[in-house]
Parts: sequence; structure tokens; C-alpha cells
Amino acid sequence: MSGAQPVLWLPGGEEHDPIANKTFGFWLYMMSDALIFAALFAAYGVLDHRFNAAGGATARQVAHPVDAFWQTLAVFASVLAYSLAMVKLKAGSRLGVLLGLGAAALLGLVFIGLEIADFASLIGQGITPERSGFLSMFFVLVAVHGLHMLFGLLWIAVMMAQVALKGFTTEVVTRLLTLRLFWTFQASIWVCVFVFVYLRGAF
Amino acid sequence: MPAHSTDPLLHPEVRQASILAYGAGFVASTVFMAIALVITLGRVLPYLGLLAAISALAMLALLAQVVLLFRLDLSETQLWKTVSLALVIPLFVLSIGLTGWMFHTLYPRTMLHFMAVQGSGSMM
Repeated sequence: MSGAQPVLWLPGGEEHDPIANKTFGFWLYMMSDALIFAALFAAYGVLDHRFNAAGGATARQVAHPVDAFWQTLAVFASVLAYSLAMVKLKAGSRLGVLLGLGAAALLGLVFIGLEIADFASLIGQGITPERSGFLSMFFVLVAVHGLHMLFGLLWIAVMMAQVALKGFTTEVVTRLLTLRLFWTFQASIWVCVFVFVYLRGAF
Repeated sequence: MPAHSTDPLLHPEVRQASILAYGAGFVASTVFMAIALVITLGRVLPYLGLLAAISALAMLALLAQVVLLFRLDLSETQLWKTVSLALVIPLFVLSIGLTGWMFHTLYPRTMLHFMAVQGSGSMM
């Protein structure tokens, strides 16, 4: 090769945007998480048949769309509360961020509470995961989303402590942005669960 | 973000926060899901019609979330998130759709009892 070579990298030179690097990396993790949910939805779609209910409860008996709509409202409102906390972050208001995160956590707890109540009601009627392949998949799909929500609540609690103690450092702001992606992602997955499990199952 | 800014609150991903967009995203998602619930409870559509209607409403709700809540677009800040999402969506749809299709054709040819209960369920 001849002529001047282009500079590909420069040790000690200007670094990449550390916030954008981390949020994009986390975004790619979420894309892989979406494919885990795709596998769960595929398995649910296959097992959602009377044959796989093995004489036990079918989708129509376990899917209560009106109850699930209350969960939908709770998770959407929680995401809105978190998003409003981000508006307060833009304004540099530590109290506003803490209030938004607190409201998001409370609404997330409402979601989890409704899901636990639904599971308890089903189990009380003898509709348990081990009863059939269909029920195993129903509980796994809904519970995996619920576990994501539970982890998100734990993360929100940690971030509330970090905002209160450290303020808006680069690390804290980066974590708030990645948590916002994670929390909003839960609302998107819930749209699929609500429509393809609860609404379709109620037909 | 300016080349040498050290204030994380000036980062473009922080500056894109918008009360109007977030409020619109919440309202749109909720309205689409409420319509889907009403259609389901009304039982006015046949199974395939219902499936098409609620799937379309789900896609509209997800689109509203992508644009208004995730704030994805083709700006320098969001471009690669948008590209990666566009590449993942076909994988998401194909992995579910092809699995459903495979079993839809496999069940009648391998499960002897299937014919006895065919039509009584709601397999994909």
C-alpha cells in the first residue's frame, strides 16, 4: 500500500461518549431479552390447545381480560411516572426525580400485587402449573414478565438511593437512562402478553 | 452533547425528555389496548377477525411506545437503536410464526388423538 494511511484510532485521544456507549449496550441486551420472550410466546402458542391442556383448564378459563386490563393500566402509568421523572432529570430537579421514581415503584407494586392475586386465585381453584403443558407455559410466560418487573422495582429502589446520596453524576444519569429503557420495555412486552394471552385466550 | 461537556444533564438522551411525547405515548397505548379489550368482550368478530384486529391494535400500541416513549428516530443519538430494533423485529416475528406454523402442520400428522379434539381449541 502506498500514500498516507488513515488514522483508525488514537491512543489517549478523545474517547467515545460513555453514556451513549452504555445505553446502546444495554439496548442490545434488551433486544436479546426480546428474543427470549419470542421463544416463550412461541412455546405458549404451540401449547395453547385443548390437547395440551390434558383435560385441565384452557386459556378461556385462566385468561381474565378485564383483570389484566387493570394490570395494563398499572404498568403504563408506572412507565409514565418514570418518564416524567426523566423530564425532571432534564430540569436538574433531584426531588422531582425521586418523586417520579417513587410513583413508578408504587404503580409497579400495584402491577405485581394484581398478578400475585390472579395467580393465587387460579391456584386456589386447582389451576396449577404442573397440571398440564399449557398451564406450565401460561405460568412461565406471565411469571417471567413479572420477574422482570420485580427486578425493575429493585433497581428503582437502588437508583432512588443513588440519586439521593450521589446526585446526578455521569454514572447515576447513565443508570437512570438504562433503567428507563428497561422499564419502558416491560410495558412493550406486557402489550404482547395482554393481547396474545389474555385477549386471545378469552375468545 | 458538546465535544467537551462534562455535565451529564446536557447529554442528548437526557435532553430528549418531553412531557408532551410521554403523555401522548401513555394515552395512545392505553386507548389502543382499551379498544382491543372492548372488541374482545363484545364478541362481534369471528376468531380470525378478532385475532387480526387485536394484533393490529397491539402493533399500533407498540409503535406509539417506540416513537413516543423510547423516542426512537433516525437522529445521530438514536440511529443505531432504531437500526438494531428494525433488525430484531423480523427475528421476533419469524421465531414465533415459524414455530406456530411448524406445529400447526405437525400436530395433525403425529398426534392420533388430535382429530378428536380438533376445532375445540384455539391453536395458532
